[in-house]
Amino acid sequence: MNRALRRISLASLIMFVALLINVNYLQGFQSNSLASEPSNSRAFAQKYQYQRGSITTADGVTIAASKPVSGVYKYQRHYTDGPVYAPVTGYDSIFGSTGIEAAEDKLLSGTDPTLTVRNLIDLLTGKQQEGASVQLTINSKAQQAAWNALRAMGKQGAVVAMNPQTGAILAMASYPSYNPNVYTTFNGTQLGNADKALRENQSQPLLNRAINATYHPGSTFKIVTSATAFGTGRYNPNSSVYAPNQLSLPQTTQKLINDSGEACGNGSGHVPLIDAFAQSCNTVFGAIGEHLGSAALKAQAEKFGFNDSHLTIPLPVSPSAFPLINEADFTAYSAIGQFDDQVTPLQEAMLSAAIGDGGKLMKPYLVQTVKASDLTTVQQATPTVLSQAVSPSIAGQVKSMMAQVVQSPIGTAHGIPGILSMSVAAKTGTAQSTINFGLDDAVFTAFSPVANPNIAVGVVIKGGGYGAAAAGPIAVQVIKAYQAYLGRT
Amino acid sequence: MSAITTQPGAGAGLPGSLDQLVPMPRNRRRTELLMLVFAIAVVTFAYSNVGFGLKGKLPPGIFEYCGGFAVLVIVAHLVVRRFAPWADPLMLPLAALLNGLGIVMIYRLQEVGRDGNPGIMSVPMTSSATSTQLIYTALGIAGFVAVLALIREPRVLQRYTYTLGALGLVLLAIPALLPARFSEVPGTTSKIQVAIGGFSLQPDEFGKLALAVFFAGYLVAKRDVLALAGRRFLGIDLPRARDLGPVVIAWVASLLVLFVESDIGTSALFFGLFVAMIYIATQRTSWLLIGVSLFVVGSLVASKLSSRIGVRFDVWLHPFAAGNPSGNAFQTVQGLYGMGFGGVLGRGLGGGQPYWTPLVQSDFIVTAFGEEIGLTGLMALLIIYGLIVQRGLRAAISVRDPFAKLLAGGLAFVLALQVFVIVGGVTRLIPLTGLTTPFLSQGGSSLVASWMMIAVLMRVSDTARRPAPQAIQDEGMTQVVRIR
Repeated sequence: MNRALRRISLASLIMFVALLINVNYLQGFQSNSLASEPSNSRAFAQKYQYQRGSITTADGVTIAASKPVSGVYKYQRHYTDGPVYAPVTGYDSIFGSTGIEAAEDKLLSGTDPTLTVRNLIDLLTGKQQEGASVQLTINSKAQQAAWNALRAMGKQGAVVAMNPQTGAILAMASYPSYNPNVYTTFNGTQLGNADKALRENQSQPLLNRAINATYHPGSTFKIVTSATAFGTGRYNPNSSVYAPNQLSLPQTTQKLINDSGEACGNGSGHVPLIDAFAQSCNTVFGAIGEHLGSAALKAQAEKFGFNDSHLTIPLPVSPSAFPLINEADFTAYSAIGQFDDQVTPLQEAMLSAAIGDGGKLMKPYLVQTVKASDLTTVQQATPTVLSQAVSPSIAGQVKSMMAQVVQSPIGTAHGIPGILSMSVAAKTGTAQSTINFGLDDAVFTAFSPVANPNIAVGVVIKGGGYGAAAAGPIAVQVIKAYQAYLGRT
Repeated sequence: MSAITTQPGAGAGLPGSLDQLVPMPRNRRRTELLMLVFAIAVVTFAYSNVGFGLKGKLPPGIFEYCGGFAVLVIVAHLVVRRFAPWADPLMLPLAALLNGLGIVMIYRLQEVGRDGNPGIMSVPMTSSATSTQLIYTALGIAGFVAVLALIREPRVLQRYTYTLGALGLVLLAIPALLPARFSEVPGTTSKIQVAIGGFSLQPDEFGKLALAVFFAGYLVAKRDVLALAGRRFLGIDLPRARDLGPVVIAWVASLLVLFVESDIGTSALFFGLFVAMIYIATQRTSWLLIGVSLFVVGSLVASKLSSRIGVRFDVWLHPFAAGNPSGNAFQTVQGLYGMGFGGVLGRGLGGGQPYWTPLVQSDFIVTAFGEEIGLTGLMALLIIYGLIVQRGLRAAISVRDPFAKLLAGGLAFVLALQVFVIVGGVTRLIPLTGLTTPFLSQGGSSLVASWMMIAVLMRVSDTARRPAPQAIQDEGMTQVVRIR
């Protein structure tokens, strides 16, 4: 019987070898593909076993934190003033994340390679693993002011404020917004329903209008047109420029007029450029743009950050657009921020920031420092130059014109309540939009103080009407709140 | 055991020349004790590890549980010294290690998640699961002791061939005959237990042992008849038609188990046991082919007739197909996720999330090990099983008595088959069939039966390794012999 027993032994050996090969295949090779199965809850449940790092503003307000809860998941995310900060923080849910939660996920969850050594030490010392905390550049006062003003307006729109000298984003608000706390539930069905409701909402509360929606810049684009004009060396703010009441355009019978057909300046047909800028004469800038040509305008616009589809702050920013136009009439329209020009509210802030900072455009960023759970700094933001948009002298010339928009009695921003009590340079924009049924988009860009600005603001209110009426006061409130925080009222 | 030395004291005071002529092999009990202490150390370490993994401190009950476990296995060792001094020295430590790790895992699963995380358990475990398992271990050791103490020679069992055969059939049939409320396992459709009050028993675990004895006794008696070739067909010696009787009976019985009790695993195990033993007894490949083809035909017919078995095949082939991961394949898929989550080195005891897998404490306990001690640990566990099987088969090969040979060979093979069916099932090597994982799964019947099986294997190996009686005096016709 021993021959049969040896064969039985061989059969047993084969069975064990088959099992060993199979578990090797399963645990050694299939581990990753199993982890990525949609119905595998272990990976995300593991994520909630550890305390995720908190997100705080630059002035120390905690806006997102993980709190211990009882259940399968040990920590649950909680957002303070959720709707106010939602465009910044985004949300972190069991199905995915957005905003800073997504962009800084590896650091917040503690899985980033830079934290590996610390995690290992935590493991050895028996300390609970914890994610790194992220401190933003956001100033809670400016952010609150932006949100309050947007909510009071009650129309779709967004505000971005940044420090022109560093590129640090001080405020980024979008209205209407949503409460990210609805995404923190561990109940998949409930989460799915909440997400579906927000996605199907007509007013698109999930859309971060500050960086992911684009609007016509309207007259604020005259900053770019002016900068292009000064760059040729043939213009300065005091140049007397052609200012017809109506500008005839080639290839079309349509005539370009000023806001409501009024005369530019004293009606003589010629005005100093600075007055045309302050009054925001369409005919003047249409004519200059037509003269400069689309290629020159496009080159200048791109130095201000247009047509850049790779900008991340670290949230990905939708590109602002200035396409090359071959027709002269459309070039005239594009020179005053109409036709195919598109900007994000962030781009509006960047226009002011570049002019305010002597032509140097800093790369906007949201994350100031990242600190590990032991409070050692893991990452520290270093301001970087995105481009030298214009020379310092040209920046000074545009700056003087933007100051005049506020200071001059004919300036379009002169009448904004409270603006004269502060040192502000600005440009208004009122963009005709075919989709709003007659209501124009209100656009506003400004920086303060004029001499050495510490804040640049971009505001867009969809269907808000005149930039000075709808967008301007919001920018003024944000500037006022930030200056009050800095102790300079 | 090639190391043969003179045993100290074996022939003290006797002529030295004789001792040198007939050396005594060492019985290796000291090796067994050393390995046992090592097993206890591993179990204690693993138990502490669970506490640190779950709560960051030594778990409560470390002295009670690990101390109790140590006392039980040391008692088993002392009993082996007394009743089976020549038995294989590795079987007891290997079985003890598996049993201890099973207790550790049941404690770990009972505590569910880290730092009081309640987890999701489809069949919740009571807070007394660990102490209950320790009591079952005590019962298992008691069974082990009883077998070694009562059955001093394997051939004693041969006397009860037909008694045990009848008992085995009764044990197998009880759950099928009882109403579902007594025999159905909660949450399943399997009728494999006898539940009265809070106490439940799975008689088929013992039926397996009884039938192995019956098969061994029956086949030893009939093997010449069965081996007798009837006709030769396609190069295979076919048995005579009337000799097919017992095979058909075993086949029908296993199909009966399959349909009435909805217990595919046990049915496969019985049939595999019978086919293997008939093959060992007759050495006729024809029996193997007949057995395997009967089983394949039976399975195919069953998968067509029973939708439940068809579902098992679907889950095996397409676990990730639409609807399956959240439906029929939920348990399988969660087990696979757990093993994948563990990866090569595992999450550490207490560091995984085995609670997602339904019934992880019984059929799927291997996936919990895979998740927490990783591929490395799981391979070690499989090798431990492999070693027990190997030691059992070795005893079968070296023992002279055909009955003991057949019994040990059958039992060792059925252990290998059981591990293959359940581990292969949860790791998707073969379709999943519900079986307990010997020594590891929660539950008393399986544990007691497994310990009794180890006792039988050790009894056979004791017989195999025991030196022949030796003369301690060499004069005259009458000799005093030493038998121990």
